[in-house]
This record gives sequence, structure tokens and C-alpha cells, in this order.
Amino acid sequence: MKVSVPVALGAALLLTGGAATGLRAQAPTTFIVESRTMTTGRFMPRDYSPDGRNLSPPLSWRDLPAGTRQLAVISQDYGAGRPPPWVHWIIYNIPGTALGLPEGIPFDSDHPMPAEIAGAVQGNNGWGLPAYRGPAPPVGAVHHYHFAVYALDEALDLPPGLDRDELLQAIEGHVIGQGDMVTLYERQPMNELP
Amino acid sequence: MTDSNDPRPDDTPHPGESMPLDESSSPADPSSLADSSPPAESSSLGESSPSADSLRPPISRRDLLRTAGIAGAAALIPDAVDAVTEEAPAIPSPAATGKEQLGSVLPLDAAPLLAGPLTNLTASETEILSAMVDRLIPTDELGAGAIDAGVLQFIDRALSEAESDAAEAYRSGLAALDAYSRYSRGGPFIDLPTIDQDSVLIDVQTGAATGAGAGFVGSSGSFFNMVKSHTWQGMFGDPKYGGNANFAGWDLINYPGVRLSVSAEDQSRLEADQLDPVRRSAYDFNLFE
Repeated sequence: MKVSVPVALGAALLLTGGAATGLRAQAPTTFIVESRTMTTGRFMPRDYSPDGRNLSPPLSWRDLPAGTRQLAVISQDYGAGRPPPWVHWIIYNIPGTALGLPEGIPFDSDHPMPAEIAGAVQGNNGWGLPAYRGPAPPVGAVHHYHFAVYALDEALDLPPGLDRDELLQAIEGHVIGQGDMVTLYERQPMNELP
Repeated sequence: MTDSNDPRPDDTPHPGESMPLDESSSPADPSSLADSSPPAESSSLGESSPSADSLRPPISRRDLLRTAGIAGAAALIPDAVDAVTEEAPAIPSPAATGKEQLGSVLPLDAAPLLAGPLTNLTASETEILSAMVDRLIPTDELGAGAIDAGVLQFIDRALSEAESDAAEAYRSGLAALDAYSRYSRGGPFIDLPTIDQDSVLIDVQTGAATGAGAGFVGSSGSFFNMVKSHTWQGMFGDPKYGGNANFAGWDLINYPGVRLSVSAEDQSRLEADQLDPVRRSAYDFNLFE
């Protein structure tokens, strides 16, 4: 069977997990996502969980693709949720000029976003809350927390409160790059501390 | 945990360093969504749950008013108030689980806001409960909050009578709330900035606090919903039952009041927001004697 190149490429993206973002025929570039307090493959500090202050962690990115006008971030745990993933955080309408996200994005919409990401809004996480809420895996279990950052070719004016599926649908066709960071967490109950 | 492949950096707190990897030790954690036998409240937190996206931070006054406005039309009957407002939480309240309603079983005389210490809670417990209900419905530019409406006294009275079975749940829950606050935010709940109190309450509401080992009996969400349900009842129920002092709750939601009949003119004035509210307990009408 003869398959056109764009279709074949699309199928390849489907198999590699890119389909959820509805990528264009041209493969998105990858870029670097980092954090001054977290490292890929390592445990995140408890202050980003309900064992601590439950702040959203700081993120930064570099080597964004040319033409990036806006960014969106989804934090999720593919080891939880029915069906997975369990979404911990969604934030989008992030200006393309932003170099990252500062720690402690307000969880209350009455508080303004930091100036450097003015215009950004948060979507509904797995609890239905338009805010970051950190990892709370079952005691004794190590879970992985995936921060996916999407570079978009257009400044979309999306309403707050979108859930993961709604956001992915809304940015379909606009993703020109993606960066990822995966961290770990295991609960540290106070009644089991030495 | 001594695995040399442990990727955790030395300067990162090591969660669960000495804990056995026993997933069954987390009976009520919301993240046990990954577990094959999640707790009751977790089961309603899944993406397919229609109630999941109605779960909101407990502190937004605007969210409260959005929900309470719906409840206002039913404020005459405490059961109805609860039935409406309890659509929001994903976790069943005592009322939703068949527990007797506060307002429906307390045939008390119309009571003004009571002063003085509570009889069923210690001074320390009262402080914690006061701080909690003050965050659920704070006094602000929109009107009086739960404290001013006598919600504490409403709950205290209930714990003496219809809700006496809940007294221990209050004591243990308030102790756990404070222990969780000290552990996760570094200080007693009553001393935290309100923004941190709100964050703590979100974690208690969602059940995320359960796994911190602070002493919640069952899910932290069950404790949260018990207090929230009673706070709503004390705020918006008929003053006959000891709360809603000076009709503060009804004023807050612009409830037009108990009326035995509504004329077409009343309806028009109501829709134009020009109807003077009736501020009488339903029990002040002869119909209810």
C-alpha cells in the first residue's frame, strides 16, 4: 500500500506519543526543560507536595524553536488516574517570551500571575482545581511526575479551566516544539519518620 | 533505602527513607488512584467523574456565592440546603451518607449569636475550628462570614444533641488538621497566613493530607466535608436552629426570605432585584406552629 509521506510521519508520531498534541506533519523540535530545584530522574523536594507547602515548582526552558509565540505546561502522573494520567497541573497562555515559570504560581485566581507570565491561566487538574497540587502517591510507592512543555506557533487566547483533553485539542496543530522533565516523589509520612 | 542507584541527590529530602515499600499502607490517599482498590473519595475523583470538576478550592468567596446562590432558594429547609450545596464536593458528607441532618432535628428556640466558650470543644480545638470555618466563609466586603453568623455556636449546639456522635470526629480531625499544618507548613494552623491556611484546607479537602500521617481517621476529605456541611447548615439554615445569626447567611446570598405566597408583582420585583427580603424564621409563621 502506498502511503504518503505526511501520513506516514503522522503515524510515526502517533506511535511515539506525539499524537495527543495533534502535531502537524512537520515534527516538532525538542527543547530543554530544567528546574533550579529539580533534576530529571531524581526526587523532587517535599515542598512541591502536600508533605510540604505544595508550591508549584520552578521550571525554565531554553532552545525554543523559532516562531514560538506561546507555551503550555502539563504536569501529570502516568502511574495514576483512571484512565491515566492523573493531572497535577495545567498552565497555558504563557507568553512566548517567558523563560520559565517561577516557583509558587498562585492557586487562587484572586491573586495575579507573576508579571513575567502575565496572561497565563491555569486549567483544571485531576481534582477539578485550576491550580497546581503536588504529588501524593500511596505511601511507600515511588511515582514519576512528567512535566511536558509545549511551544506553540500562535498566541492562543484560551479560557481558564480547560482540562487536559480540552487543552490538547485546543493546541492541536499549533505545537512546534516540546520539552520534557520527569521527576520522582515518594511520600514521607510524619508518623513514619525516625 | 540503601540502593546505590537511588537517584536522589544528597541535598534533597529523602521521602520515606526508612519506610517499607508497602502500598497497602495508604488506605485513603487520593493518589491511590493508581491503586486497584482506591478509597471511596478517590473513586469519585477520576477524570470520568462528573463531580470532579466541580471540586473547587474551599476559599474562594466567589465560588461560595456561586454555589450558595443556588442553595438560597432552598434555604428554608436545612436538608435542602445541604442537598444542593453537597453537589460540589467529590467526597460524600455525613449527610450524604445517611447521617442525620443537623437542622432537621434541633427544635430550638430562635437563637441570637451566642457568646462565650464552646461546651464540646477545648479552647485549643475551638481556635482551630474557628480559623477553619473563617476560611470557609470569611467576613469580607460582601458581608458577614461564618464566625459572625454564629456557625461555631451552631456546631457546638449540634454536638450536644443531634450530632453528638460527631464530637470525637471533630476532636480527632481538628488535632490532625493542626498536626498536618505543623508538619507540612511549619506552624500551627491558627498561626499560618491565610493563603497557607487555604492551601492546607485544599489538601485536607482533596484527601492529599491523608497520606501525611497526621492522624486523620479515614480520609482527611471526610473530615473536611463534615465541617463544611455543618458550616453551610449553620450559615444558611433557618435561624431556628441556632446559626444564621441576624440572618447573615441569607443576606449574603440575597435570599428573599420565607414567603407563604409570591405575587406576580413580588416576582417582578425579585427579578429586578428590588424585592425587600423577609427576615423571619419559618417557625415564626403560624403555619409551622
